[in-house]
Order: sequence, then structure tokens, then C-alpha cells
Amino acid sequence: MTLWTVLWIALPFLVAFSLYLLPQGDRRSRSVIDCRVLALGVTLLSLAFATTLFVQPAPLSLSLLDSFGVSLLADNLSAFFILTNALVMAAVILYCWGTDKAKFFYTQVIILHGSINAVFICADLISLYVALEVIGIAAFLLIAYPSTNRSLWVALRYLFISNTAMLFYLIGAVLVYQTHQSFAFTGLRGASAEAQALIFLGLLAKGGIFVSGLWLPQTHSEAESPVSALLSGVVVKAGVFPLVRFALMVETLDPAVRLFGVAAAVLGVLYALVETDTKRVLACSTLSQVGWVLAIPEAAGFYALAHGLGKAALFLVVGKLPSRNLAVLRQQPIDTAYWVPLALGSLSISGFPFLAGFSAKMLTLKQGLPWQVAVLNGAAVGTAILYAKFVFLPHRPTPKADRWAAQPGLWLALLLLLGALLMANLGYLDAYAPGNVVKALTIIALGCLIHGLVIQRVSLALPRSMERFDHLVGGMSLVLVTLFWITWSWVV
Amino acid sequence: MLYACVYATILLGFFGILLKENLVMKIIAMDVMSTGVIALFVLVAARGGTYTPILSGAPSIAYADPVPQAVILTAIVIGFSIQALMLVAVMKLARDNPTLETRAIEEEYRP
Repeated sequence: MTLWTVLWIALPFLVAFSLYLLPQGDRRSRSVIDCRVLALGVTLLSLAFATTLFVQPAPLSLSLLDSFGVSLLADNLSAFFILTNALVMAAVILYCWGTDKAKFFYTQVIILHGSINAVFICADLISLYVALEVIGIAAFLLIAYPSTNRSLWVALRYLFISNTAMLFYLIGAVLVYQTHQSFAFTGLRGASAEAQALIFLGLLAKGGIFVSGLWLPQTHSEAESPVSALLSGVVVKAGVFPLVRFALMVETLDPAVRLFGVAAAVLGVLYALVETDTKRVLACSTLSQVGWVLAIPEAAGFYALAHGLGKAALFLVVGKLPSRNLAVLRQQPIDTAYWVPLALGSLSISGFPFLAGFSAKMLTLKQGLPWQVAVLNGAAVGTAILYAKFVFLPHRPTPKADRWAAQPGLWLALLLLLGALLMANLGYLDAYAPGNVVKALTIIALGCLIHGLVIQRVSLALPRSMERFDHLVGGMSLVLVTLFWITWSWVV
Repeated sequence: MLYACVYATILLGFFGILLKENLVMKIIAMDVMSTGVIALFVLVAARGGTYTPILSGAPSIAYADPVPQAVILTAIVIGFSIQALMLVAVMKLARDNPTLETRAIEEEYRP
């Protein structure tokens, strides 16, 4: 098992860096070592690793010789996140199969995959730092891939914010080391309030949570759709996962994580409700959904899986629609072939029965604290309202015979994601109590009703000034002060 | 005293990111901030002593803790590669926005 883990973690980087060394030989040898085949192989390997994690009896823990806390920890929670990573990444590679993406693109995808995997099994602050920085660089290169000025600016903004956040994180890491002579996550238990606040700030900004996550809507909506699917599906979860781990390992941090989760869930929904641009609605909804993942750390794995699959499918479909403006889409019917996956993904995230989103939402609500459940139910109605925007889009079947043959990658990717949504639904069958089903249906019906009566008729716009670069950096300092106040008052 | 200086460097860097208008100045401010963080690691390492930690037969002396130094070496490399990437991006942006003012760029590329 140890050898398997080490091989699995090292292989993506080995593949990615040796891709450039491989010869451009004749057609037959090229088909074997094609970058797309290799990238898909790497994700399949992750799928196999996640499966072995699910069946192994006890969590696997590896630590470095003379470790200073540097260690790996692979358990059920990691397995869920690794599974999400593998499935979303595989779907994106299938989607890009027929397009003319260069080798460079796939190299970055493989590196991104490897570094996200590293986040999901590490259990110390320094491995986490390195992995998060590598994710930042790979994501920057993927966002900037079209190399237009706008994509460059969006990517630069992303890298700037994430690197500033990681500098704060590093200060926190060295303060933890100063107290315990160790970088392990468990060292946070006795660490000073400053250290906790700084590390929290770094991860909140990286994971796109609450006010520190307001960089997220623009970045995720302006990237190309496969890259958006990657960013929303898995990359933000790399920032969320360590916070979930902290909450489960160190009980004093648990209330803060829950509080930020619920706050993010509400804020994201508010932003998404007033948006009229499809990709921005989805991106703001990500802002809210990561809050759900964080709000109840015990159920985080399953929720992250359900959200990752649904959101990736939605981003891939929305990229194919004729317009990004919802008002335009309401006027001209879309192809039913696009509408079906769009509706399925939307219903899953709203929590409709028979899809993974339902089981995940019920599992989350079951384990929540009373005050959280009250607020989260409200957020669930909000989520249902905003996805009703997609479900109620007009559609009609268009007779295009070559639709399936023209872009097989898209349909394969959607088949994988939606199939996985249906399969994952079987993971928690206890959710199908009559009370739960009625509750889920009530939430969705209420959402549709409010959507039809109010949202469609009112046009409201929230000011976007909070998303300006200066305000993002300034917001970081405010969040830091708040965090310091929270942790300090609890330590005392 | 040294700690105060290091924290002041970090804060100055952060305020530079916040207040400078020019994109290149912002990146330099970020470099100042990361220099502060690196200095903090070195300072923490030097708490037990300042001698270079080299294993030899000599009697044990108050040597510096090698772990934070080893860790910050990684962070320095990552930091400088990120700065290099950012500067490349800024070079490309500068072709169409010669002033490189953040506010103007942001206005222009807003969706």
C-alpha cells in the first residue's frame, strides 16, 4: 500500500515532465504515447487509487524519517476528494479530445491533477503549501492558455491574490513550527491565535470562501469552459479540503470552520440570484456550494463529490449554448440535447431525488447543528431558485443528424459525469426516507415558485466593486482582523 | 527588535500591494513582502543559535535550526518562479496598456 501510494503521487509529475522528452515519432508510436492518452491514464490511476482507499480498513498514514511533522494521511475523506478529482479531470480531457489543444495544455492538466492529489493526502503545512503553489501556477497557465489580453489579466489577478494569501499562510506555518517544532496539522491545536488566523486566511482566500473568495466569480466565468469546469469542480476544493481536515482534527477550530461555511453558503446564493450571465451564475453558485462543503465537515467528502460532478457538467454544457445572457436564452429556444444534461445537473445541485445532490444534501443537513440547518435550508431554497433559471429555459429538439458524431468528446464527458452522479446516489441510500423526499421536493417547488413569481420579473444588480483588485486585497486584511478576533477570543 | 523590523517589512510590502497603482510596483511590493516572510523564517531558525549546522566531530555548539531554512529554500524558489511568470504576463499586457495602471486595466477587461 505504501509503495502504491508513493507511485501514485509521483507518477503524474513524472509523466508531465517527461512528455516533452518523448519523441514525436511516426503515427503508430504517437498514438500510444499521445499526451491525451497519458493524461487519461493518469486520471484512471487516481480512480483506482480512490477505490483502494474506499475498501481499505484503516486510514493509511505515512511519515517522513525524522519527520518534523511532515506526513501523508489517506482515509475515506481523501478518497471522496480524489474520486472527484479523477472523474472531473477525465471528463475535461474527454471534452478536449477532439479540439486542437496543444501538448502544453495537457501537460498543465496533468500537473494540476497531481498537485491536487497531493493536497488531498497531505497532513502537514509545508507539503500543503508546496502543493497549493503548484496548483496556483498550473491554474494560471490554464486560464491564460488562450493568451488574449483579458484571459492574461484574469489569470494574473488570480495568481496575485493566491500568492499574497499564501504568503500570509507561510507566516502562520512558521509560527506553528515555533511553538511545536513540527509542521503537522495537529500542531494547530496549541498554536497561537495569530498563527491560526493567518493560516485560515490563506486557505479561505485560496478556497474561495466567503468575502475572501470574491475573486472567484470573475476568474471562473472568464476562463474557457473546460478550464472553468476544472476550477469549479476541483481546484477550489484544494483550498477547502485542508480546512475540513483542521475542523475534524482540532476541535477548537471546528466552530470557526462551520461559521465561515454557512456564511459563504448564504453570500454565494445572494450573488448568484441577481446574476444574468450563465457562467457568472454558475461561478457564484460555486461560491455558495463550497460553503456547504465546509459547513458540515463530517459530510464534506460526499458533498464535494456531488457538487464537483454536477458543476463540471453544467460548465461544459453552458459553454456550448449560443449565448451567455439568460435574457437572450429565454427568447430563443435551445437544443433539447443540451437542455437535458443542463436540467439534470441543475436538479442534482438543487437536491432532486435520484441524483447524488439529493443524498449529499440530506446527509449534510442530517449532521448539521440546529442553527446551521435553519440557515442552510434557506440557502437550499435560494439554490433551487437560481437553478430554476436553467431548468425553465425554453427548448426544442432540432433535427441535426450529425450532432452526436460532430463532438463525441462532449457527450462522452457528460455521460461520464451524469452517470457518476446517478451511481454516487447509491452511496447513501438511507437518504430516501419519505420525510427527506418530501422536504427536498418542497424546497425545489418553493424555489420554482419564487423564481416564477419574483426573480424573473425583478431585475436587480449588486454592485461589483467588491470584486475589484484593490478591494480584494483590502478585504483580505479585514478578514484577517476578524479571524484574529475570533480565534483570540476563543483561545482566551 | 529584529522581529519588529521583519514584521514591518511584511506590512510595508502588503501596503505596497494595496496602495500602489502600477502593476509592476505591486509585484515589487509583493517581493518585499515575501522577503519579509523569508527573513522571519531565518529569524525563527536562529533562535537556538547562529552557527551553521554542519555535522562534525567538534563539540556541540549553539547551531541554527536547519528545518525552517530548508523549508524556506523551497518557498524562495516557488516565490521567484511565480514572480517571473507574473512579469512575463505583465510584459504582454504592457503592449496594449503602456501605463500598466491597475484601475485602467480592470475597467478595460471587465466583462
